Amino acid sequence: MKQLMVGAAVAVTIAISGPARAEITVCTWGTITGPDALVNGMTYGTRDYLEYLNQTKGGIAGNKVRVLMLDGRYKLDEELKIYRRCADQEQAVVINGWSTGASKALRDQIQEDGIPFISESFASEVLDPKKYPFTFIAGPTYEQQMIIALRDLATKGGKKVVLMFSDNEYGRGPVDVVKKSGIIEKLGLEVVDLVEYRYDAQDMTAQMLRVKGKNPDLVYVQGSTPQVLVALRDAAKVALPAKLFVGNLYNISPAIPQQLGPAAEGFRTVQTYAFFGDNIPAMKEIETYAQKNEVEKKDIYFIKGWLKGKVIAAAIEKVIQKNNGQVPTDIKTFRKAVRDEMEALKDFDTGGITPPFTYADHQGSVQARVAEIKNGQYAAVGEWIDAQ
Amino acid sequence: MQMTMRSFFIGLALAIAFALIGYEANRFVAYLIYAVAISAIGALSLNLLIGFCGQITFAQGALVGVGAYAGGILGNAGWGGLSLLGAGIFGALLSMLVGLPALRLRGLYFAISTLAAQFILSYLFKILVPWTNGVSGLVVKQLSLFGRPVASDQEYAVICVALLFLSWAFIGRVMQTNVGRAFLVVRESELVARGMGIDVSQTKLKAFLLSGFFAGLCGGLFAFTSRLANPEAFEIGLSVDQTAMIIVGGLGSLAGSLVGAAFVTLLPEAIQRLGELLPSADLISAFREMAFGILIVLFLLLEPRGLVALARRLGARREGPSSSVARSGTGVLQSGVAVSAQNRRKL
Amino acid sequence: MIALQLAIAGVAAGSVYALIALGIVLIYKCSGVVNFAQGAYAMLGAYITYFFLHLGFPSIVSVLAGMALMALAGMITERLILRRMLKAQIVSVMMVTLGLLIFLKAACLAIWGPDQIAFPQIFPSGAIDFAGIFITYNYVAAFALASALNIGFLLFYRFTSLGLMQRCAADNSRAALAIGIHVSNQVSIAWAVSAALAGLGGTLLASLGGLSLGISDIGLIAFPVIVVGGLDSLAGALIAGFLLGILEAFTEGILTPNLEEFLRSVSNVQSVGALQQVIPYALLVLMLLLRPQGIFGRRGAERV
Repeated sequence: MKQLMVGAAVAVTIAISGPARAEITVCTWGTITGPDALVNGMTYGTRDYLEYLNQTKGGIAGNKVRVLMLDGRYKLDEELKIYRRCADQEQAVVINGWSTGASKALRDQIQEDGIPFISESFASEVLDPKKYPFTFIAGPTYEQQMIIALRDLATKGGKKVVLMFSDNEYGRGPVDVVKKSGIIEKLGLEVVDLVEYRYDAQDMTAQMLRVKGKNPDLVYVQGSTPQVLVALRDAAKVALPAKLFVGNLYNISPAIPQQLGPAAEGFRTVQTYAFFGDNIPAMKEIETYAQKNEVEKKDIYFIKGWLKGKVIAAAIEKVIQKNNGQVPTDIKTFRKAVRDEMEALKDFDTGGITPPFTYADHQGSVQARVAEIKNGQYAAVGEWIDAQ
Repeated sequence: MQMTMRSFFIGLALAIAFALIGYEANRFVAYLIYAVAISAIGALSLNLLIGFCGQITFAQGALVGVGAYAGGILGNAGWGGLSLLGAGIFGALLSMLVGLPALRLRGLYFAISTLAAQFILSYLFKILVPWTNGVSGLVVKQLSLFGRPVASDQEYAVICVALLFLSWAFIGRVMQTNVGRAFLVVRESELVARGMGIDVSQTKLKAFLLSGFFAGLCGGLFAFTSRLANPEAFEIGLSVDQTAMIIVGGLGSLAGSLVGAAFVTLLPEAIQRLGELLPSADLISAFREMAFGILIVLFLLLEPRGLVALARRLGARREGPSSSVARSGTGVLQSGVAVSAQNRRKL
Repeated sequence: MIALQLAIAGVAAGSVYALIALGIVLIYKCSGVVNFAQGAYAMLGAYITYFFLHLGFPSIVSVLAGMALMALAGMITERLILRRMLKAQIVSVMMVTLGLLIFLKAACLAIWGPDQIAFPQIFPSGAIDFAGIFITYNYVAAFALASALNIGFLLFYRFTSLGLMQRCAADNSRAALAIGIHVSNQVSIAWAVSAALAGLGGTLLASLGGLSLGISDIGLIAFPVIVVGGLDSLAGALIAGFLLGILEAFTEGILTPNLEEFLRSVSNVQSVGALQQVIPYALLVLMLLLRPQGIFGRRGAERV
């Protein structure tokens, strides 16, 4: 009897002393295998940053984070299924999704569920802090990126522009938005041709001949890297120099200078994050992580992933701090609180990945630079420009 | 006829059971239930054409797409529940169009013409921007039934299971009539059919009409549950998936369509969960696909009549030599025993 | 001279289409089966060749090794799978080849990953620059090699004794058996040769456009080719391949831009998308309606 009393007393003591170690689950999905797997460093980066925290700091405010990384395979029904799993079964507090299509299809559901959702898409249709307060993206939209490139051209006195884009949402959407906004004319430029190509085209000689015929000052390509490769390769065939071409953030890939060699010199892209390997604090963190773990993708997209990880971790940490050091037990409150903290991020230090930013506009950093391929490497050219 | 009544009631019981589960379950389970139900409607429609009437077609993906866009456009315009009917009707009409060459071309050549139809329709989905919103996809508002919007996955699960049951019962009934029997005769031999006085062309067109209706219905449900209709979802891959369903389940078998749909939809998820024990993410997906491919090949090699026939074989072995083993694919509504045995295993 | 440049690109692409289509027609003549996995053979051939190149073997050795291994793969497919399905329904056999396609694609995914891979140069780099027309040696070599094999195969089929045996087995297997031709061997040979040709086609495609899982899509282009050429005509496959390659190039290079310019001036329509992809299929439908046996096929097999 006495032992029972002592035992009960001990149990009660334990129960009321330690904080309840509720689990933090973050769900992230991307195209691990599929057409745009080339840029899935973004998904790996987020997972790896959170794992890095788990390994070096015991998680967020002492709580380990459970990270789930799933493969959306760039198929809508797969992505929708994963979302439901993450929202319901896995009880994720933050979800990091991938495609523009899925982000659009899930628009309303995300708000109803009240789960903070970061999308890899840069489409402006996904971004609307008022209508979709739970949806965030991580950087300037495709349209803003395009405008930066066009602005750059206008200041240099260029006039004629050709817009090339793939025949899918990723290609057409932003080009449509920019065209309709009239900003091209406002900058004093003229669109001399719109060239749409198959999203998995393997040969663009015909398109390059067409472009050459229009004699443009700039060719902006809104497409995926494999096709940019094909375009530059075929441009070289018809003696169209690479320096006429500008791509968006997703076209920063070592594959381009590697595979094309001198034909890639002069190709420019819009750059919104620091390069992998730049001398910044975030890179030191990655190097620490790399000592004990395998880093799957060593590219700028991984850096983006690392950045998103930081944003997620920072918001969660603030929530825990404000909650007396405890992880909220009600998932709905937890999610709402994290969303509020994400929005409240001000002058957020990203360890050098981007200039410090405020997340109130749900975009984060809207600054970008132009990067150019020089001697087989991407090098930043000029300063950070504000996209807005 | 006894068997038929029996399977009808077993089907009804199962439908009610799944509807209840879908209503009470969490979102993920509800999603799985309606995903299987929607695919099953598609599989039924395809089996009608390929399994019951012997017309090989690759255009299923595009026809489902037609239903999705039709349903989405009508739904957005406020037609409510009737948009599903509209989706079916448009599916039926396009299906008839696709089937017209069947009246003049023989098997393989007709099949290739359906392949062309699939590609041409896919292209049209991307191009006809004023209707389909092109590659951006058509955003579809929630289905609104009798004035109320259907919001939750659980409600959709109930609706889809109900529609699946109705489709299954309807097609089953059709197969018992002269129309259905004509399908079977045309499948076996057009010459014999003509000899029996059956109008082969009309029969084929009826098959296309009916099949297209349910393909359209499948598409409409797909649009409302995903809230988006985009061209990439209705390409040849969908045709291949649903063909795999009816082959794995059993060509020419109603129950087989359902079983095959469940198998093809749920197996990748099961492998995915198993694979999550593996360290590398991209290997999981690769193995999923490899398993899918191997299973198709194995089934076709070893049990070409599908899971339903496999179940019957196992069932017969258990019950002993006195049990009747139904013959190849000419059976209309399958033995209720096989259905319930399979479905019990499914649960 | 855009037209000429386009024609050359089209002819080069067309010669590769012909290579793939030839394989499909060969199998069709022998087994009565349309092999949906032909594109997968092309893809696998490209990856295997890459494997050898990566290990440092010289180009010729790698390409030949790729073809040889693909021939083996074709033979294995036939023996292991097709032979057991002789009594099965057509749709089942076609699905088996589809299942094979899915499996091979996934296997390549598992081994080499989802990303595009730079295919090492197997032909000397540089180009012929002549009268404003730019033709890289890659294209020239691809065309030359593909055509050489296409024509070489046709000659072999027509004029050698092995070719004669192939034709007999394809034409009437019972009669062939009766006169002592080992029909099943002939069928295996047909599959082996088809797979090898496809493998080479894949390698050439990879040398032109990079190595990726997408190479398997070439199998789908083959269908308009064989319908236009005639499902049972090898020469038809060759000629239709060239025709369709040129048609594609011209659509992409001339029809599309002009059509778009026209549409933009009279309406809101901005683009016609991937017209060059759909035109071969439109042609296919036209052909089926007007002359279903194709340009060179034999009449009678196709109508009800």
